[in-house]
This record gives sequence, structure tokens and C-alpha cells, in this order.
Amino acid sequence: MSAAGAMKTCAEIAPLLVFYACDEVSAQERVAIAAHMLSCEDCREQLAEERAFQETVGAMPQAADNMDSASVLLAQCRSELYEKLDDLATPLVKERAPAFLWLRRWMALHPAWSGALMVLFGLVVGVQATQWFTGQNNANALDQAVNVRPAPRLTDEQLAKMAVAGVNLTPSVGTGTQNVRLQLSAEQPVVLTGNLDDMDVRQVLTYVVENGERFDSGVRLDCLDVLKLRAKDVRVRSALLTAARKDRNPAVRLKALESLRDSASDRMVRETLLESLQQDSNPGVRVEAVNLLVRSLETAKPDSAVLPMPGDLDAPEHTMTAPGALGFPPDESLANVIRALEDLQRKDPSRYVRLRSSAALREINERSEQ
Amino acid sequence: MPLPSWALAFADDAGRTSNSEATLATVTSLANLDERTLVQEAQVGNRAAFEELVRRYDRDVLRLALNLMKRTEDARDVYQEAFLKVYKNLHRFRFECSFYTWLYRIVTNVCLDQLRRRQARPEDQAPELHAGQYEEGTTDFFERQREHRPALDPEKHLVGQEIRARLATAMTRLSPRERIVFEMKHYQGLKLRAIGAALGTSEETVKNSLFRATRKLRNELGELR
Repeated sequence: MSAAGAMKTCAEIAPLLVFYACDEVSAQERVAIAAHMLSCEDCREQLAEERAFQETVGAMPQAADNMDSASVLLAQCRSELYEKLDDLATPLVKERAPAFLWLRRWMALHPAWSGALMVLFGLVVGVQATQWFTGQNNANALDQAVNVRPAPRLTDEQLAKMAVAGVNLTPSVGTGTQNVRLQLSAEQPVVLTGNLDDMDVRQVLTYVVENGERFDSGVRLDCLDVLKLRAKDVRVRSALLTAARKDRNPAVRLKALESLRDSASDRMVRETLLESLQQDSNPGVRVEAVNLLVRSLETAKPDSAVLPMPGDLDAPEHTMTAPGALGFPPDESLANVIRALEDLQRKDPSRYVRLRSSAALREINERSEQ
Repeated sequence: MPLPSWALAFADDAGRTSNSEATLATVTSLANLDERTLVQEAQVGNRAAFEELVRRYDRDVLRLALNLMKRTEDARDVYQEAFLKVYKNLHRFRFECSFYTWLYRIVTNVCLDQLRRRQARPEDQAPELHAGQYEEGTTDFFERQREHRPALDPEKHLVGQEIRARLATAMTRLSPRERIVFEMKHYQGLKLRAIGAALGTSEETVKNSLFRATRKLRNELGELR
């Protein structure tokens, strides 16, 4: 439709009549249509029909005229709009949804799955809670350097009535010390937790060792395991000596002697060792006493020597000389040691003890010759 | 000539003022503001400015909605939804077209949505009110005119009624877009270019829609023409 001359046919003019009638054609189209109308009767009739139609349409009453003739609807709409704008301007008070509303809805819609999940949840929580409590207790045992139950000092009466259910020794993380956990059964169960410097802990341990007849040998051995770490303490050493002398169980006596290994040069310890050497009924204990006595002599001498092995059965018997000539310190106990060893070498019913005594005497003699 | 923006300082954020004199001053000043200033004031949260914009255009909006929807409740819904959309999205308006065009674009979109929903689920919709069966309390324009024009030809009157009824029925058979274009052209008096801008489409597309709508309606009238 670019040029007036190009629109000469009715077929080209007809589609434009709709827009021509309502003045929606370009200037060029208007000129071309007007020119065509002058010569085409049919198109003039069509245009007249189109205009009549648009007049009819335009004359039709509109819905708005009838529905809102009094502008009542408009006023209502405005009022509603302003109310909504007021609501938008007012800070919203957020309605608080019930807790876990979505979960409740889901559970209501899926009862079977909900039941299964609840069971699973219970299992997980149960397992985790158990582990957590266990972990808490272990953490106390591992990390607590002091007694977490500052109970009053146990009285002798309480000690006399108590029973020990368990002794646990665990290294304390980071501190290098040892923590002890004692489970006691007195009038009511008591758990003592603390390190070896804790007075209550040490009091219980020494009481158990000194009163071995009241406690199980396993408990006594456990206590010795703990106490040997503080064998240089006078009170502890006294308890260990008592156990080495009097405990009815040879394993406990042996353990007590082992616990005194580092204190063998002490006079009281050496006397106890001699006593065990001469009087203990168990050959193992007597052998341990021999070993510790020899060790005590070595520690008393600046030069240390290697002890002969107990299996040296072909070693010749030795006749001991005066203690002062041995190179050992002129200690009265040394003579007693040699005498006791000689007695063992001759009289002990155990061949192994006799051989071990012989080896010990030989070793002492070699030292003296050096 | 637009008043300076300090004239709006009398109004608070909600567009209300603390005393009657200030209120009067605000209303007076707002009524004199041009469209651009009003929109800018509304964009910064001046409620009174927004209400002035509503007052300027809502009559046309409601009229368009009534003519398109043919139901009072639907037209009311279109009015509310359209102006609330304008209120919530006014900060996005960048003056790339006139506010009037932007507003009509929103209104026609809302109408199109409603008409499409109505087409999709006709069973949920109340019947439209056609010419000659208006709501209670209102009367037909031609009925009202009859008393004043007693000499009117009865046959011509009957033919006129038939034409109106057929046109009303034919209008319902138009597509939503054709219906809106026809309405905006013949009853809102908008140019095709403006209709295209309002609908967010080209003038050529609007022309096609108007042509199809006209053909359908004329075919419907048939021998009554």
C-alpha cells in the first residue's frame, strides 16, 4: 500500500475499509481509498455498511453505563482499594505458625512412614545418648586432673565398711599424669576420681593393700599397680612393705616387691627383702627378693653391673668374704644379705632359688674383686 | 504549572496531615500536580500522591473492566488487582512511556488473565449480563428513552434490540485479545498505536485483532444489517 496508484483493485481496498471508517489509515492509504471510491460503487456500499456497523456498535449501550450509572461501584472500589493500601502500609504482624506444622501435616498424611521414622529416630537418639554418656564419663576419667567429687575424707569407719568394686588407671590426656577411678561400695556407692596425689584416692589404695584379707586379690593387684607409681612416698612404701610381708597371695607379695624395685636401697625395704628371702613360702617371691637385693647393692655402688642370668646352673658355689672387702659400702645389711643368700644357696628347697642365690653371690664376689 | 515538591511536605507518609488546613492544602496542591510529579511523589512513598493518581484514572479503568468483563464482581476484582499491582510495582516504573499507558497495560493484562480463566473454566462463571438484561435497579438505555420518544417505530425498535442482543452474544465469542482491542478502540476511543502500547504489542498486531473482531461481529449480524 505504498502508493495511491498501486491500490486500484477492490480486493486491495476492501480490507482497509474497516480502518478507513474509524480513521486508522495512513495519509497515503486515505488518498488511495478516496480515489477508488469515486469510481467504485460496490466499495462505496461496503464503506457505507462498515460505517453503519460502527455507528450501531457505537450506539450500543455499554455495560459500564448501566452497571455504574450512579458511580456507586466506583466509590466502593476506591474505598476497598484504600483499605487494602492501609493494610499494606501497616506492618504485618506475622502469624506464628504452630511449631513443626509442616512435619505434623506430613505425619498426618503418612502414618506408616511416620511410625517407621519415629522408631528410627528413637534408635538413633538412644545410641547417641548412650555414647554421649559414656564419652562424658571417659572424658572425666581422661581429662579431669582433680577429683570431681570433692567428698569429705573417708573415715576409718567408712574404710572398714567399704568394698572396692573396681580400680581403673588411665593416662590423663596432655598432662602426663595418671588418673584413678575407684568404684567403692560403702553405705552407698561412691566413685572416687582423681590423680595419685589425691589424698582420698591414696588413702583408699593404701588401705586396700594393707588390709588385704578384706579385699579380692585382683583388687589388691590393681591397687599395687597404681601405688607403685608413688613408691617413694613414705606412706605408700609402708603399705607396699606390709603387703610384701603379710599378704596371703604370693602374686600380690611378688607385685609388692616389684613395686619396691626403685626403692630397694632403702633400709626398710632391704630388711623386708631379707625377710621375704628367708621366710616367704613362695620361691618366685624369694627369687624376686634376691634380684631386688642384688639390685639394691648395685644402686648403692657407683658402678653398675649386669646381673648373672638365673639359668646359669653350672656356676660354682662361692664362699663369701667379709663385707668390707667387697667394694660395697660397709653396710651391716650387706652382710645380712650375703648371709641370707648363702643360707638360700644351701638350704632352699627350690633348686631355682638355690641357683639364683648362687649366681647372686658370684656376682657380688666378682664385684668385690674388681 | 506543577507546584514545587515542598508543597507535599504538609502530608505525612500516609498522605494524611495533622490538621484540616494542611489537608486542604495538600489536596489542592496534589490536584494541580502533573502526572510525572505525582508518580515521582508516589514512588517515594507519598500515599496521597498515589491516591490522586487513582482518582485521575480509576473511572476509565473501571469502565474498561466493566465493559470487558460484563460482570460487576469481575470488574471490581480487576480494579483492585490492577491498582494494587500498580502500587506494588510503581518503583519499577521508569517513565519509558506515559503512566496512563503503563496503567492500561496492567489493567488489560489483568483483564486478559481473567477472560482466559473464564474461557478455560466456563462452568465456574456466572453468565454475563447482556444488553437488555442488566442488573436489578438499572434499566436499559433504550427503555429509558421510550417514554420520551413515543413516536418511535416499533419495528425498528425490535430490530435494534435484536441487533444489540446478537452483538452482545457475538462479543462473547471473540478471543480475549480481540475483545479488548475492540473495546478499547470503539468504547475507550484509543488509537491503535496506543492500544498496541497498552497491550505491549505492535500496531500491526492490534490491526489484525481489530479486523478479525469486526469480521466476526458483522458475520454474526448477518441479514439484520
